[in-house]
Amino acid sequence: MNFKNTLFVLIIISILSLVSNFIGYHTSIIESIPGMIILVIICLAGVALSKIIPLKIPSVAYIVLIGCMVTFPYFSFASTISTMVEKVNFLSLTTAILAYTGISIGKDLDAFAKSSWKIIFLSCFIFIGTYISSAIISQIILKLTNQI
Amino acid sequence: MKNWKVHIIALVLVVVSEMIGIFKFSFGPGTIVLLPMLYALIIGIFTGPKFLKIVNEKDMKDAGSLITVTLLLLMARYGTLIGPSLPKIISAGPALILQEFGNVGTVLLGIPLAVLLGLKRESIGAAHSIAREPNVALISDVYGMDGPEGQGVMGVYISGTVFGTVFFGVLASFCAAYLPFHPYALAMASGVGSASMMTAGVGSLSTMYPDMQETLAAFGAASNMLSGLDGLYMSLWLALPISERLYSLCYKLKYGKNTEEAK
Repeated sequence: MNFKNTLFVLIIISILSLVSNFIGYHTSIIESIPGMIILVIICLAGVALSKIIPLKIPSVAYIVLIGCMVTFPYFSFASTISTMVEKVNFLSLTTAILAYTGISIGKDLDAFAKSSWKIIFLSCFIFIGTYISSAIISQIILKLTNQI
Repeated sequence: MKNWKVHIIALVLVVVSEMIGIFKFSFGPGTIVLLPMLYALIIGIFTGPKFLKIVNEKDMKDAGSLITVTLLLLMARYGTLIGPSLPKIISAGPALILQEFGNVGTVLLGIPLAVLLGLKRESIGAAHSIAREPNVALISDVYGMDGPEGQGVMGVYISGTVFGTVFFGVLASFCAAYLPFHPYALAMASGVGSASMMTAGVGSLSTMYPDMQETLAAFGAASNMLSGLDGLYMSLWLALPISERLYSLCYKLKYGKNTEEAK
């Protein structure tokens, strides 16, 4: 997808998210616009970086990094930027994403229906795997460093 | 791209879903949470040719091609959530940082089980991580959201969103009662990268060990912030490559032939 199309889609999603933020989280659209513009700029910067830098790093990795950097407390505009983006509720951004996902899933609904129970079942084991393996490592390190 | 029909339908889905609002039910040590995103997903599926026949093949394809970009915006917001807590994360101790490698355990358990269940490339998406927002965005960026990997990661993401807090609440109580872990280790493990799941896990532990409450909460929160920060990079450089290899291996063991090359 080229840069112009990316910008176009970002603007559409921003509009949907502003609506979502207004209905679901009662924040006025006008008030949320500056924060939303900052988010769009972060995205564009990330996409640009992933194209310019000749490493195989996806743009999301740059975007999260830039988002962190501009709100890192030692960065001079951090608190201003934080205040602005805080108007945009995190969850309000997810509704539009899942709306598009829902529309697109119809395409392979049969495959999805067939695999969904397996994935739900698998989810439980994924949660257990993450939890237990983190707990084992923590237990060992805490023991080694005499914290427990 | 400029398929206005899809955008208008998405707008309607957003408005309807947000009007329905959030529902929460207490259930054991956690809460079952139904968020507007879940309604948007389900109603979206119903617009397809199998049900309401509002959208056609082309509309569905167009919508699918946009998802990767829509996730970028969420990740920009995600980064700005982590930034303010960076100084605290940096000062976290070695135990907190090393337990992040627990993610590899997810892959080692998840991929063989996924293949055993008969899942194909859905396995990679579903079992490479605990599938929170950064992992969904990563899979979308690397493989595209409209393929099997995308469906896998989305499936686990939705499961986690709906019953993740209940699950982690119960799991933490169970491990504290029956397995030889110190509550501190379990509190650190609770920070999987989702604030609500961490809260449920630490909540269960706090009820069992009320005198440790503050330390448990601090460990849980710090570990959760850390997971939020490194989750994406851990997946990209460690979990995904391991998943790919393990998947090929398991596939060969189960079906007796090599996988079709990934794109």
